[in-house]
Amino acid sequence: MYISSPLILLMFRENIGHMLPPFFLIDPTELAVELGYTLIVVFICFMIYFKTREIYDLTKYEGINYFRNTFLFFGLAYIFRFLDFFSMLVTLTFDTRLFMDIFRILPFPLIINGYFSTLAILSLTYSIIWKNFNIRHTLLLFNAIAILISGITVIWRSPYLLILTQAVLLVFTIIMACYFYTQSRKFSQLYIIYVLFLLFWIVNLLPLVRQRFPPFEIQIAFHIISIALIGIIYYKVAKWTK
Amino acid sequence: MDKIRRKRERLEMIFDILNIIRQHHNSIKPTPLLRHSNLSSQSFSEYFNELLEKGFIKEITDENGKKFITLTDNGFKYLEKYKLILGFIEEFEL
Repeated sequence: MYISSPLILLMFRENIGHMLPPFFLIDPTELAVELGYTLIVVFICFMIYFKTREIYDLTKYEGINYFRNTFLFFGLAYIFRFLDFFSMLVTLTFDTRLFMDIFRILPFPLIINGYFSTLAILSLTYSIIWKNFNIRHTLLLFNAIAILISGITVIWRSPYLLILTQAVLLVFTIIMACYFYTQSRKFSQLYIIYVLFLLFWIVNLLPLVRQRFPPFEIQIAFHIISIALIGIIYYKVAKWTK
Repeated sequence: MDKIRRKRERLEMIFDILNIIRQHHNSIKPTPLLRHSNLSSQSFSEYFNELLEKGFIKEITDENGKKFITLTDNGFKYLEKYKLILGFIEEFEL
């Protein structure tokens, strides 16, 4: 006989539940923090995208195109990261078979999240290196890589692999940043901001693997650092796009 | 590094051509514009067509049938934003 987890929780609460503090699988504070964090980051990402539109329209400069696309894709990836997180909470709390069955077949938010975040990481990396590489059909190539990574995520149905592949892309970005640093001999604070921003994006995917990992307080600290990093990027953009 | 130099040069050349037109009270004939730009006629023709396509300049003909080049609003905007554009590219090392 199938016994859903809310029923077990109800039985548990009736017997010994009065001895325990109130128990919520959807922690309203956690949900509010995640929603607030997502809204702030998405807003800043889209602001960067729209603020750079004019200078891109005037110049059609490739580097600006990759730079602004990065933040468009990150904004979309953050939306689907939240949807993925939310669907996980709903599934855990209400034991909704519908969500479980749908996402077991096709983890939709995770796929889209993987797709957009991969495009964002590739665009950011290419915005640094495009001057020295002449890659043709970049849009096609980036899409192929993003679809491949999303496809792998679908096959394994786990965010672990997404985190792993994006960590590989991060290592690639670090190598490229180091290479151009040694070439130009010019210390670029920006590469460090980029690398940290990507690193915290990957760290912020961890709650999708296991709920309440890392602990909630540490997650909040990571969120604050992420917001500060993207805030610095936005400040630099705003300085030149008055 | 060649590619970046070419890209920068392109932005700079566009600025120079637009600036020449502005310095001539926003009205100059094509031949003096070619002379002032210090470009080969082939390069000038490429830039000229690009500027027309992007809507930075337009050709006007006066009552005597003479052609003049003038800046559009977009052309003025490019001149106004040029330093900011270069600053942005430098800042983000694009």
